[in-house]
Amino acid sequence: MTTLPWNATVLQRVRHLHLRARTLTDGLMLGDHASRRIGAAVEFADYQEYRPGADLRSLDWRAWGRTDKLVVKRYVTETELPCTVVLDLSGDLSTGEAARARYPDLDGSKAGYAITLTATLLYFLQRHGEPVGLEIVAGAGMPYASLPPRRGNNHLQRAFVALAAARPAGRAELAAALARVGGRTRRRSWIAVVTDGMEEPERWLPSLAAFARRRSDLSLVHLRDPREWRLTGLASARYYSPEGGDDIAVEPEGAAQAIAEVAAEYLAEVEGGVVRWGGRYVPAPTDRPMEEVLRALVLGSASRAPERDRV
Amino acid sequence: MGLTVAAPLALLASFLLVLPVLAHLSRQVPRDRVPFGAMLLLERVVRRLRRRRRVKDRALLALRLLALLAFLLAAAGLRWTWNGATPTFGGTGEVVLVIDRSMSMGLVDSGSTLLQRARADATEVIRSLPSGTRTHVVAFDDAASVLSPPGLADPDVAATLVATIEQTGGASDLQAALVAARRQLEGRPGEVIVFTDEAGPRLVADAEGEIARLVASGSALMPRPLHADPPRNLAVTDAEYGDGVEGGQVRLRVTNFGPAAVEARCAVTLPDGQKISVFVDVPPEGEAEERITVPREAAGGVGEARCEDPDLPGDDARYFHLPRVGASRVLLVDGDPGDTPIRSEVYFLERALAPWGGARGGVRPEVVSTLGAQAIDPERHRVVFLANVADPRPYGPRLTDFVRRGGALVLAMGDNLTPERYNAAFSSILPAQFRRARALAAAGEEGVPLAPPMDPVHGLLEPFSRGGRASLARVRTRKVMTLDPYDEGGDVSTILSFEGGVPALIERRVGKGRVMVWTATMDLGWTNLPLQTSFVPMIQRIVTWLGAETGDQASRVDGVVGAPVRVALPDLALDLQVVGPNGDVVRSRVEDGALWFTPPAPGAYQVQPDSAPTAVWVAVNTPAQESDVRRYGSLAAAEAAVAPHLFERHVELGPWLLLVCVGLLVAQAVLAVRSAQTVAAEHEA
Repeated sequence: MTTLPWNATVLQRVRHLHLRARTLTDGLMLGDHASRRIGAAVEFADYQEYRPGADLRSLDWRAWGRTDKLVVKRYVTETELPCTVVLDLSGDLSTGEAARARYPDLDGSKAGYAITLTATLLYFLQRHGEPVGLEIVAGAGMPYASLPPRRGNNHLQRAFVALAAARPAGRAELAAALARVGGRTRRRSWIAVVTDGMEEPERWLPSLAAFARRRSDLSLVHLRDPREWRLTGLASARYYSPEGGDDIAVEPEGAAQAIAEVAAEYLAEVEGGVVRWGGRYVPAPTDRPMEEVLRALVLGSASRAPERDRV
Repeated sequence: MGLTVAAPLALLASFLLVLPVLAHLSRQVPRDRVPFGAMLLLERVVRRLRRRRRVKDRALLALRLLALLAFLLAAAGLRWTWNGATPTFGGTGEVVLVIDRSMSMGLVDSGSTLLQRARADATEVIRSLPSGTRTHVVAFDDAASVLSPPGLADPDVAATLVATIEQTGGASDLQAALVAARRQLEGRPGEVIVFTDEAGPRLVADAEGEIARLVASGSALMPRPLHADPPRNLAVTDAEYGDGVEGGQVRLRVTNFGPAAVEARCAVTLPDGQKISVFVDVPPEGEAEERITVPREAAGGVGEARCEDPDLPGDDARYFHLPRVGASRVLLVDGDPGDTPIRSEVYFLERALAPWGGARGGVRPEVVSTLGAQAIDPERHRVVFLANVADPRPYGPRLTDFVRRGGALVLAMGDNLTPERYNAAFSSILPAQFRRARALAAAGEEGVPLAPPMDPVHGLLEPFSRGGRASLARVRTRKVMTLDPYDEGGDVSTILSFEGGVPALIERRVGKGRVMVWTATMDLGWTNLPLQTSFVPMIQRIVTWLGAETGDQASRVDGVVGAPVRVALPDLALDLQVVGPNGDVVRSRVEDGALWFTPPAPGAYQVQPDSAPTAVWVAVNTPAQESDVRRYGSLAAAEAAVAPHLFERHVELGPWLLLVCVGLLVAQAVLAVRSAQTVAAEHEA
């Protein structure tokens, strides 16, 4: 039986997450936009001539009364859409600002950005009546690492508790993790993968095939800290990954140009891989307002090309 | 050409080259460890920077190493050395000008001869000498001549002496010239300036030893080569008369020493003034041979073969001996004009001497009857055949005189012949007295064959030296004229005899003339000789043998311009003089039983008793090696082989290396600073 981390910090963080999620969701809902797939209940689409065998409940009696013709009403959505957010909380997300805190700062840290984004996304989807699920890859301290898509406030609450209690740790092993999650998602699901992708793309990108095979609507939210990628403010030191591996001695002033070139190539590599496997690539630099990322993610309104150049 | 080091010990400091390498290798590794969330990118960056830095670092390291190396080499006194074309020598106060005046210096190039250029150059050298320089002038061809008086220091006199040097037709003896130059210096160091064309295969090679001795004595050879560009010359390198049955051909060899093919117009001028022209195509650096037929009658003497060549006129002509052609005119006295051809000696002799009726050469004999034998003319006839003449007594004295004056008489037997009349007519010139005609075989028998020759290398038997002797063995004779016993040796010799020892062909020398007796017939009466294949060559050879030459071989001598000619004379009691090509009398002397003279120019020289016909012809030509105007060696190279230090030049590279060192240091500093600035700019961005 899972032990819930009922302590004040976690409760505080759950509450904070709620507030952030509600605020951001309200901002999203104020817009004059329409969801591409995620509709609010059943919506009328058009009429079709009645044919024997059609559902009699769909007959438009008023139209029969006016025109003496039997027509059937058709609707845009008729089934629920299971939504799952896969969150990568590997050790690399613990770097950056406030990296030494026990729990990552929900405002300003790379891990906090990822957690907040995930919580907002779950809240938004739940508000739209979709069943939501959560898969946390790597990480530590959370009571639930995997929550299958369900409706209901209690389910959402459990997800928030898991997010509030999670700390980045360990190696994501994205290839195996994505393959595993992809294997147990339902067909025609909506999947969002929030990750920094700090593993060799050529190793984990092919795992996206698991989602493509199930015709899932996949979005990859690529999380990054631009200051890290530009080596801004860093001193000459031996750098190491919290996930392990060898140290690398770097003189940031000499490597700035090179890292810019490498990052551009890396981004192109990841974006190209995601698109090739049928997904949508959503860049998520931590210095970018989360609303824009969410808007791009759920509404598809953000452009991606400029983001690539803003490394 | 090469690099040398003045202070090799300075190179010991080359260990300093290690310093930049060590500086490059010593890199401080930062101590602080910082967690980083994008290690994947850093790993890629490190891989990329390693590649870039490798190039940059290597460029910097190379610049620094080169700078240090340049400094070390400058400190070591590096110098660039090479060999110059002429030796560096001078200031001795003693100069010997050695000027080649041999025939090859007459080569015309750009409107002037090489000798003219040599004189101009030598004059220029004399004018440039410091005042008080002792100057010696040596001219050479076959021999060296010192023209200057001892201690000459007047440049005007020296220039005048140089201007008097005239070209000769002689060869080049540079070795003798250098010996003379060394003697002029008398052991003192001096500069021997040689003006020569360096032409000929042996000129330089023969002088190498003397060059070494000259250098060893502290002097130096300063070659001033004079060349035509390209060297070219056409020369008649050989001309020789080859005798035939009557008349003959002059074989002419023309050599082209130039790089381009030449169509030369050549002419052979015979001693009697006849001129025969011909065009000769000569390939580049090759030779061509041409044969010119001499007319049937031509006076003896020295002929000239000349090819036109504007480059070096001295060797355009070649002089050759020509015997008196046409002196072998044959007179046949027919003593028995037969009723059928096979019974006529003249029939067979005519066809043997002129096989195709004279259409293709040969001897066209003059045939007379016994009544016409009185027409014998010693000036016109050389060989007289008496074929089966019954009674020669009416013209016996005339023929005897003819033989004594150098004519030749051939006696052929026959049924008409009476031995007693012959013995009476030619008693003083016959090899032996005729006895009687004797049958060697009975009627119907084959006859007696000829025995193998006792002297197979006899000149008369030359046509049968290889495969012709078998045909001689097929000659069968049934009847011969026997002779009284005679002594072999001396003037009489048996050339052929029949098996059993009966003489067949006997020769007797009578003064300059000869008498030859064939003891059988020249028709088919006594022998089958006229039907044998050996008949034609034998008769032709007899004619040539008896009449081709008008005098002794000793009366023809060859000579070379500038080289003493020795003429052996049988009777030195005569007052002899040597007449040159221009009719001038050439100075001569009698020494060791011979006449000696040195021909100054090519041409025909005649040794004559006073107011008498020419006794000896001398054909004088230019030395063959002088015609070859190509260079086979270089005096400078020969001198460099024994004294390379005289040719050595060098440039001190130290200051230049220091400049290079500074430049490299500046370049590496610029590269380092620019690299740092680039990094800073990137960082700022």
